[in-house]
Amino acid sequence: MLSELINPYYLQIASFILLNIILGVSIYITLATGQLSLGHAGFMSIGAYTSAILTLNHNVPLVLGIVIAAVFTGLVGVIIGFPALRLHGVYLAIATLGFGEVIRVLFVNWENLTNGAIGIANIPHLGREILTLSKDIGFEPAALGLRNNQFISLAVFLLLLIITIAVIWFFIRQNNSRIGRAYASIKMDEQASEAMGINITYYKILAFGQGALLAGFAGALYAHMTAYISPSDFDYHRAVEILIFAIFGGSEVIWGPIFGAIFLSSLPEVLRSVSEYRFMIYGALIVFMMAFRPQGLIDMNVMNWLKRSKSKKKEGKHGTGSKENQ
Amino acid sequence: MLKLQNVSTYYDKIQAIKNVDIAVEEGTVVTILGANGAGKTTTMNTIAGLLKPKEGSIHYLGEDVTGLRPDQLLRKGLALVPEGRGILSSMTVMDNLEMGAYHRNDSEVGADLEKVMKRFPILKERKAQLGGTLSGGQQQMLAIARVIMSRPKLLLLDEPSMGLAPLIVADIFKIIKEISEAGTTVLLVEQNARQALKVADYGYVLETGRVVASGNAKELLQDDTIQKAYLGH
Repeated sequence: MLSELINPYYLQIASFILLNIILGVSIYITLATGQLSLGHAGFMSIGAYTSAILTLNHNVPLVLGIVIAAVFTGLVGVIIGFPALRLHGVYLAIATLGFGEVIRVLFVNWENLTNGAIGIANIPHLGREILTLSKDIGFEPAALGLRNNQFISLAVFLLLLIITIAVIWFFIRQNNSRIGRAYASIKMDEQASEAMGINITYYKILAFGQGALLAGFAGALYAHMTAYISPSDFDYHRAVEILIFAIFGGSEVIWGPIFGAIFLSSLPEVLRSVSEYRFMIYGALIVFMMAFRPQGLIDMNVMNWLKRSKSKKKEGKHGTGSKENQ
Repeated sequence: MLKLQNVSTYYDKIQAIKNVDIAVEEGTVVTILGANGAGKTTTMNTIAGLLKPKEGSIHYLGEDVTGLRPDQLLRKGLALVPEGRGILSSMTVMDNLEMGAYHRNDSEVGADLEKVMKRFPILKERKAQLGGTLSGGQQQMLAIARVIMSRPKLLLLDEPSMGLAPLIVADIFKIIKEISEAGTTVLLVEQNARQALKVADYGYVLETGRVVASGNAKELLQDDTIQKAYLGH
């Protein structure tokens, strides 16, 4: 019965939507301190290549490879974060865009390590690893009535779902912590934050590093989900795609880029016929958003409105009680 | 308490203040007067660590603090209310007040919040409102209340009366007096020279980045040249 419900194709799309959510959150974090980075495709590629090379050429276990890739990318982010401190707004965007391109060109030309433009194939696949692992402990997908490929897609999807929820949960918690407060106040007024005793150098670099770490993590996951990467996977289009999650959904609250990622990555699947023109639509969308709703679809007001209508519903349920009291 | 010796600060190659010597005694109110572009805000930002002086030294509580970061200085009790108030406009009044105690991790923050709310009832009334929706005077109150939350020993106020109605300006100066009486040393930058000299014990006059006059506040109020230049006689 289960086997009829599970369609590997849809699960795969859902998994990539989850991956895009993580990427959306990664750009949200750097934006949370008011830093606009277009280098997230570059960070993603560093994560992807690091994990791919480690697992393929050096027999590092897959999980360890992903963790090392994420941490390494985070460190690169910190290093890039220092010069980025001196840049603001559009200048930072241009510099990080340049960084992303430099990384891509580096991967194209460093042929003995990265295989150049041909890319790296046969990267250990996340789902297949889980399948071998579960077979080793004596669990057969057939026991659930699943075919192997169904089990693989399902396992990847569930794993990514858990990771995505954990990532979102972590950053919501962080938003309510000292770090989140510091980020928000730096975004609103850097000088005032400094005067309030917030070490803005530390927090801006922390945000940059966190964003890079998360992008690298997503990149590593991407490498092990597709089993094949090439430099063209992480070009300028990818950077714009990540950015547009935040532009379309909004970057004031974490739900903005999450919504943007879900909506914009499912759109090409729904509208198959126009998916060729995706980047034209993205371009038009950026212009349209900048003109009519520069803060993105989901902002503070929308969140407050949602909260209010939620609490109204609750009040409605208990409404009779309060009327009796009056 | 605070001593600037020969301090010069530059914006790239442009020298904004030149060999400034300023001293602030503990328990006093000292004011820095001057026209637009005289270097008042630059002086304040240099003291608070937002700008690094190129020459000279700054001593605070007997310690050389030249080149320390603003957060390090704030931990030592040196706090600045920047020009233009620096209210975090999309945080609530309550959050703004809490941000004032950002560097503190003692257990008395809650009690201090209560105290501040009591002193500024308007802020208590509007504690759930966003900072940006307050009027100019209320924002200035919030900025001062917020800095009190950091428990300053030396408070730097950069033009607290800027852009406020005369009645509210009087209020602000009353608050400054209260803060001083409660034991906090105040260094005040003002364009409103008469009011500033009335609350101050000592005054400095800046002109194109140099200290051109200094003296007791009462003497400065009587001084002919000062009266002509800044008090409008």
